[in-house]
Amino acid sequence: MSSYIRTENLYKSFRTKGNNVQVLKGINLEVQKGDIYGVVGFSGAGKSTLVRCINRLEEPDSGKVFIGETEITALSKRELATKRRKIGMIFQNFNLFDAKTVFENIAYPLELEKAKKKDIQKRVDELLELVGLTEKKHAYPGQLSGGQKQRVGIARALANNPDVLLSDEATSALDPQSTLAILDLLRKINKELGLTIILITHELEVVKYLCNNVAVIEDGIIVEEGEVRNIFLNPNSNTGKVFLKVSKEFQKNEFVSGGEGI
Amino acid sequence: MSLRRYSLWEVVKHAFSKEVWDVLWPAIGDTLYMVIFTAVITLVLGIMLGIVLAVTGKEGITPVSWLHRGLGTIINCLRSLPQIIMIIITLPLARALLGKAYGVNACIIALAASCTPMFARLIEGALLELEKGKIEAAKSMGSTNLKIIFGIMLPEVIPAMIRAFTVALIAIISMTALAGNFGAGGVGDIAVRFGFNRFQHDMLIATVFSLIVMVQVVQTIGDVCSKLILKKRHLI
Repeated sequence: MSSYIRTENLYKSFRTKGNNVQVLKGINLEVQKGDIYGVVGFSGAGKSTLVRCINRLEEPDSGKVFIGETEITALSKRELATKRRKIGMIFQNFNLFDAKTVFENIAYPLELEKAKKKDIQKRVDELLELVGLTEKKHAYPGQLSGGQKQRVGIARALANNPDVLLSDEATSALDPQSTLAILDLLRKINKELGLTIILITHELEVVKYLCNNVAVIEDGIIVEEGEVRNIFLNPNSNTGKVFLKVSKEFQKNEFVSGGEGI
Repeated sequence: MSLRRYSLWEVVKHAFSKEVWDVLWPAIGDTLYMVIFTAVITLVLGIMLGIVLAVTGKEGITPVSWLHRGLGTIINCLRSLPQIIMIIITLPLARALLGKAYGVNACIIALAASCTPMFARLIEGALLELEKGKIEAAKSMGSTNLKIIFGIMLPEVIPAMIRAFTVALIAIISMTALAGNFGAGGVGDIAVRFGFNRFQHDMLIATVFSLIVMVQVVQTIGDVCSKLILKKRHLI
């Protein structure tokens, strides 16, 4: 089976104060259609840059990105803007527009498509129901909790029926309960809408809970990839091992601190 | 009434007499006329220039280095002129455009030329403070630059823009007083001609009072407006 999202030899570097920092050093990623694919790594490993190269929020220095048959890296600015409407993205800081209500936030991408007012109304109502926020339709983002904000972010990202959803640390700013709820929501839209999801995170639990496949990024290259189970049962890479160790360490501590209360 | 002849209390009392205010009211009218016209020009040009500065900068949504640098240099040049020099420099321009180099209309050119660059910088600052993430979110939805500017950036920073405009408006009011020296009339003119040249200290006190009231009103309205918007958005 051929992959749906594909990157070929992706390179990206940033210039800071005369230094050239190579962030991506030849990334080859393959994600199947309908998959929930995790990308994990420590801060600064390049995972965020990678996902931002997929919709070209960052322009890669060299290499190619494909989604389906489309070569994203070959699109003109105008074509890219149109294509981006089919690539949803959600963020760690939600990035909702504070000047707009929940309704207006979700309607914004639909207005870009020049949809009719009536259709916009209908579509927004559908999306609000999907993410379970119907009663907050006319609230401003300032009135919402973190979890609710991310729901709006998801609804907004889904407005134009994308077939890809990029999640850039979408749950990292949320409390555990909201994280779980958002992850369940992501799983639901993956199942119901057949969305391919790429999920960037540094939380091992998130990957374990949600993803089918995972890539471990270390210092700008993919050091390991495969099924989540295999990777974390038997990690070969340094990052994978550290992740597992930390996760076990936490479990131990939880046990001890749980005992104290008795 | 001069303080040389009368006691302070009597002068202050006389500052609020009909005699004084009969002279002052028309001058306040002139000042308001200058302030309002200058404010409109400053508002429109300043927002336009501020947007250009913000979006063409290195971190902007469409970097155009030569335009950013060129415009920035022009604005810096205009800002480095003290207002009194700006008035002198624009007098020939006023003569060419309006036929005479004195009067309220002539001074509006100088006032706008002096305040627009300042306001443009304030707007640029407000736009640059907007979280990059919001612009990225709009980009990731396939928004065009024009829609990002007018649909996202401007509405998001309106409270900051109102505060910036308040600062600009107060600068304009204080500058009209200066323009009074160059035949523009207004409150400043009264203060100089009566208060300074003729030692009519009641006049001076009345002009100071009216200027304070004007600035207070502007500041209060600005504060209330930006606060109302922030409250509506539940950001405070």
